[in-house]
Amino acid sequence: MTDAIAVHDAQLRFGQTVALEGVSVSVPQGTCFGIVGESGSGKTTLMRAMLGLQRLDAGEIRILGTPLQQGRAALTRRARIVQPIFQDPAASLSPRSRIRTLMNEVGTVLKEPHAATHERLLVILKRLGLPDSVIDKYPHEISGGQARRVAIARALLMKPSILIADEPTAGLDVSVQGDLLNLLQDIRRAQNITLVVISHNLAVVRLIAENAVVMRAGKVVEIGEVGALFGAPREAYTKELLAAWPSVTHAASV
Amino acid sequence: MSEAIWALKRICSERDGRLGLAFTIAILAFALLGPLVSPDPNVLDIKARFAAPGVAHLLGTDNLGRDLLARTSVGTRYALTLAVLIVVISSVIGSLIGIVAGVAGGWVDRAVTAVFDIVNAFPPLILAFALIALYGKGSATFVFLVTVVFIPQFGRMARARARTLRNLSFIEAERMLAVHPVTIVVRHYLPNVAGPIIVLASMNLPVVIAFEASLSFLGFGVQPPKSSLGTLIKDGFVSINQSWWPTITAALVLAVATLGATLLGEALRRVIDPKSAGAR
Amino acid sequence: MAISLRNLSVDYSLPIGTAHALRDVSLDIQKGEMLGLVGESGSGKSTVAFALMGLLANNARVTSGTATIEGRRFDLTRPNATAPLRGRGMAMIFQDPMLSLNPVFTIGTQLIEVLRRRSPASDRKTRMAQAEDALAKVKLGNPKQRMEQYPHELSGGMRQRVVIAMALLSEPALLIADEPTTALDVTVEAQIMREIIGLRDRIGCAVLLITHSLGLVTEHCDRIAVLYAGERLESGSVRDVQRQPGHPYTRMLFDCEVPIDRERHADAAQNRFTVIAGELPDPRRRPPGCIFNGRCDVSFEDCAKVVPGDYPVAGNAAHAARCLRLVTP
Repeated sequence: MTDAIAVHDAQLRFGQTVALEGVSVSVPQGTCFGIVGESGSGKTTLMRAMLGLQRLDAGEIRILGTPLQQGRAALTRRARIVQPIFQDPAASLSPRSRIRTLMNEVGTVLKEPHAATHERLLVILKRLGLPDSVIDKYPHEISGGQARRVAIARALLMKPSILIADEPTAGLDVSVQGDLLNLLQDIRRAQNITLVVISHNLAVVRLIAENAVVMRAGKVVEIGEVGALFGAPREAYTKELLAAWPSVTHAASV
Repeated sequence: MSEAIWALKRICSERDGRLGLAFTIAILAFALLGPLVSPDPNVLDIKARFAAPGVAHLLGTDNLGRDLLARTSVGTRYALTLAVLIVVISSVIGSLIGIVAGVAGGWVDRAVTAVFDIVNAFPPLILAFALIALYGKGSATFVFLVTVVFIPQFGRMARARARTLRNLSFIEAERMLAVHPVTIVVRHYLPNVAGPIIVLASMNLPVVIAFEASLSFLGFGVQPPKSSLGTLIKDGFVSINQSWWPTITAALVLAVATLGATLLGEALRRVIDPKSAGAR
Repeated sequence: MAISLRNLSVDYSLPIGTAHALRDVSLDIQKGEMLGLVGESGSGKSTVAFALMGLLANNARVTSGTATIEGRRFDLTRPNATAPLRGRGMAMIFQDPMLSLNPVFTIGTQLIEVLRRRSPASDRKTRMAQAEDALAKVKLGNPKQRMEQYPHELSGGMRQRVVIAMALLSEPALLIADEPTTALDVTVEAQIMREIIGLRDRIGCAVLLITHSLGLVTEHCDRIAVLYAGERLESGSVRDVQRQPGHPYTRMLFDCEVPIDRERHADAAQNRFTVIAGELPDPRRRPPGCIFNGRCDVSFEDCAKVVPGDYPVAGNAAHAARCLRLVTP
């Protein structure tokens, strides 16, 4: 089966800074793939390249076997396959548009009557535990948690087969972050969606992803199945990352 | 609409805002009602030259015996109309050019920015003389001139806002959804550029009023027998030894108008765009 | 006892009404000890630091509270109550080191200024040497060269080290660290925590670590206080609290932490994350009874009516929790 996303030897420089160097990763269809690394590791750049928001100097990215292309026609085709969930999903909702308007835009792109879009939206809202009343609200009139879900609902309305989530738990308290992660896992399983999660949270990636890549300074440090990657890391940097992670369990065995 | 009421409430909640609003309302009332309670501004009452304020002429008369209340209020009306017209035209054109440049980036952006720089490189008064030499004196020239001078200001601000918006996740999300670029500009850029543009427009009103007055004072603006604040000050200035009334009245109106508009603009900025307030 | 904070209550006046950010919060920190004040957003944990430092926003009002620092008592309801201590008795490390550093002065100038204020008699040469020594102690490489650099020339982690060096030089009795590592990468976080502990051990001060991370607290702190919606629900030694949480909120919070060594289950349905359902109570109107009542998984009838006091957990006077279960047979 073709990979959902295949990045081959990606190279990118911003002036003197190396953003990506010889990065190759492949994400099998229907799996969850984690990209972990510290700031400056290139994980966000890699995500933006996968979305086509950042052009590469060299290398190739294929989405379901098709190379990434610029231009409106290619973008429209790609939008039906890949959708992002941005770091602050609430900020990805246009502040001066009603949720209804934003959702109808998706219908327009899909060339679908608004009534049909609305039907599908109601189903998705229900699954995400959102009240129908959010449809007629502006983004600032709903809670931050609801806005996160609305952003996810809009991505799902596009019927994508790949979701790319950038730091989905950033800025969330531990007591509520699980809610969002459980939701992402549910969506993924119910619709057989390929999920790419960019995160600095190793513990979360270890639990939700089948495979992951550890990045540093634009390069791949280690890549593989999470059990091996986190259970028996080969690279010194991966070990260092794991050791530095503050975890309650170390003391639990006191 | 509720936003406008909210903004008005916020403006009234501080002293400068209240003062600005009061001054502005006073000037508007003066411009609108003045001509109704005074004689024709161009009728000469030779017997009553340089009359002090009185029952016949509430604000006195000028060197030709023309009613100063009538002339000043008509001049104010003229100045306000011009100012609003110019600010509206230049802000709309400027925003559109600016957003297009900011969104498109690349050579379009560089070209537009270069043109803005060229226009801004000329001191407004010098540019005014050049254009007046080309097209002659008159209101149309004036409107055209000041609009040209102001477009880059609005254009720059709209462009800067658009550049910032371009990298915000809600715009990127729209792009990732393959929403049509025109829809993105109209629905998602424009409303988010509008706030600072409105503020800049309100702050530019007094600048245009003062600019018109200076051009008229120099004799390049309104032509007699029409009156404007600038010509009134100039005419009064010539005969200030006989009577200081005309100059003082017109200057006072000019001061109140610009001060009111400035205070109101500043207050509006604190309401709409609190981050940039005080940064100027 | 180095530091004791008693009955701190802080109100914020907001357009929507008066929000009670803290209600009767008391803390004790011994010399040479690190207390971890844990809370989620909305718990009021940073307000504790700001109230102690006298850095509260204009719309905040301390309605009650006293602090005892090195035997001196301060009435926190008075404006600038702790001003005499700022920079000498107390030092603070913020999440953003640039809040403590002046961008237009070199690192050296700022360190020397700290020394000048502390001991006006010493000469410049001694101060230079002391400042360089402090930078070396917080493991900032090339201290001589760093002295000449400006804050913007350093990375986030290095800036935080400079702030720790400043704290080191001011030799405070109490060091308040408000989310000192939240903006930093994990590997840098571990190093910065080591430097803070090193500072504490060197000058024997009390440290108040304010954080949302239970992991940091269990790894580095001696004692823990758990704050929820402006109330201290539990306090005790990290060991005791972790072994037997006295409050359901503490237990649930520990359950939400994802341990780094938790292995992925082959059956995806098993890889669930724990969540505390419900939302924070309205800070303007405290619900009757226990503040955590709406979200608790073991609440009973009385929880909605009776406001619990601080009861000892397992007969241990040094471990207290605000839960009626502890006194209900």
